[in-house]
Amino acid sequence: MKLATVDYFILALYFVFVLGIGWRLRKKISTSGDFLTSGRSVPVWITSLAFLAANLGAQELVGMSASGAKYGIMTSHFYWIGAVPAMIFVGVFMMPFYYGSRARSVPEYLKLRFDEKTRTLNAVSFAVMTIFSSGISMYALGLLLQLVLGWSFTTSVFVSAAIVLAYTFLGGLTSAIYNEVLQFFLIVLGFSPLAIMAVAKAGGWGGMASRLPSVMTHSWKYMGSASQNPMGIEVFGLVAGLGFVLSFGYWCTDFLVVQRAMAADSMSAARRTPILAAIPKMIMPFIVIVPGIAAVALANAATGYHLPMKNGGPDYDQVLTTLMAQFYPAGMLGIGLTGLMASFMSGMAGNVTAFNTVFTYDIYQSHIHPNAPDSHYLTVGRLTTIGGVALSIGTAYLAQHYNNIMDLLQLVFGFVNAPLFATFLLGMFWKRTTGHGAFAGLLSGTIAAALVHGLTVAEGKGGWLGTVNTFPSTMAQNFWIAIFAWTTCFVLTIVVSLATRPRAEAELRGLVYSLTNIKHDEGVSWYMRPGPVAIAVGVLLLFLNFWFA
Amino acid sequence: MLDLRIPTGGFFLLAGVILLALGLIDPNARAALTDVNVNLYCGIAMIVFGVFMLLLAFRAAKKAS
Repeated sequence: MKLATVDYFILALYFVFVLGIGWRLRKKISTSGDFLTSGRSVPVWITSLAFLAANLGAQELVGMSASGAKYGIMTSHFYWIGAVPAMIFVGVFMMPFYYGSRARSVPEYLKLRFDEKTRTLNAVSFAVMTIFSSGISMYALGLLLQLVLGWSFTTSVFVSAAIVLAYTFLGGLTSAIYNEVLQFFLIVLGFSPLAIMAVAKAGGWGGMASRLPSVMTHSWKYMGSASQNPMGIEVFGLVAGLGFVLSFGYWCTDFLVVQRAMAADSMSAARRTPILAAIPKMIMPFIVIVPGIAAVALANAATGYHLPMKNGGPDYDQVLTTLMAQFYPAGMLGIGLTGLMASFMSGMAGNVTAFNTVFTYDIYQSHIHPNAPDSHYLTVGRLTTIGGVALSIGTAYLAQHYNNIMDLLQLVFGFVNAPLFATFLLGMFWKRTTGHGAFAGLLSGTIAAALVHGLTVAEGKGGWLGTVNTFPSTMAQNFWIAIFAWTTCFVLTIVVSLATRPRAEAELRGLVYSLTNIKHDEGVSWYMRPGPVAIAVGVLLLFLNFWFA
Repeated sequence: MLDLRIPTGGFFLLAGVILLALGLIDPNARAALTDVNVNLYCGIAMIVFGVFMLLLAFRAAKKAS
């Protein structure tokens, strides 16, 4: 792909706006709360789009079009089953505790609800994980720009890191959130023309369906058994593993996204944030997955488009960039590329800002240097931004040199994350849950995840303890690992809780469902309240699932 | 606090004007697989979106003062 001067100009223009937003917001920062939690003052339409965009990073655009080309419309399960129900749940049921408890982070909620050791376990694993995610995002960006444009890996990594550092250092979380929203609009306006043109060229949805195997244009029809569909997963594994454990574990407990809702300016707005974000989330598959499906149809239709190849097989990760090169002239190509870079960078910024808050409040303030004046923590927060970006750069190079270490780390993070939702569910809805129970449940859930991985094999992965079962795909293996980890954590938390001394009910007010008086949203029109909005979103979700069944 | 609609509207208005200009100056610029003047139509769409964002921001500022 070759860029014209005008494409570089558009890219530069975007960077000017991104840095300008950071520069304008710098005056607003006077306390650590302003820097790390936006002082709880961001309007709801911004927090909603940021809630969505913080997750719309590296893996999403490139990875989802690749999956679309590989699996077809079935990929939409990652949105319609694997995200939207959890987004509704966190808004309606969990946000009252995150926002209402005055916790500044998800680990801090665990400290208030349980104890210091549960918080520290969660804070440390989250902090390490965000640094690696941010580094992997940077690595993927460097690799893509090297491959597509021939830019040097080092230049791409350092330029993008410098820009992210500049705007998060100046404006903190608010600046990261604002730029995530700008990036969201850029992706929608920059990539929906591509989706429309690719589908139109392939003869519309009907034309695509006639040129593709039927399994690629139905999301549910072939889910009856694992052998019928290319994902190698059946309905129960999909719904329980992806739709329940992994999805709720991510959207309801991951501080990266929850932090966006916690920055909202009122309880009602915080609750509406993830529910409103579910609307564009539902529509995202049409922008990120459908072009991938259309690419295969175009390749089958002898239009002159060929799927990119690598080592004799299709290179799905390049589907999106080859489509851009085939449909966009100089100018619009610049917009598309800017959108791609913006999504990598805001993925990075999202991780860095979440890391900042957790490190400053949950590790530094609670273990290293408590009881300092607030200005001290503001300084620490700013320095952590620099440290976080520097560590991410290091991770990007580590990923470049040792691909296997990265795969191993991502596997371990999966083990740590899988049981999390059981802990939060019990913590928020069963007042008898104790700190010892939560801690034991989390540890045993992680160990259970590792054991299932060690005892099962899929595509040559796992089985380092023997082979009890063989899965048709690593995706199926991951879903089942999650199901076992969650169940182990759920059961062990209950058993240990019953055997240990409960906390006094007075200490749990505002932290547990049965001991909290959740105020109705007085002064908010009925159609803006979380309940009615959630029902409307749910109806739309059902409609989409039936339409593409 | 900074109204995000102002920089958002500003960016898309400028980017839209650039694309529209490209589409008018070189109406035959085509990528391999399209026969549409992509820059022209996308430019118009971005200008409409940018102006809409700026209008919302000005209306809110007027209301506040």
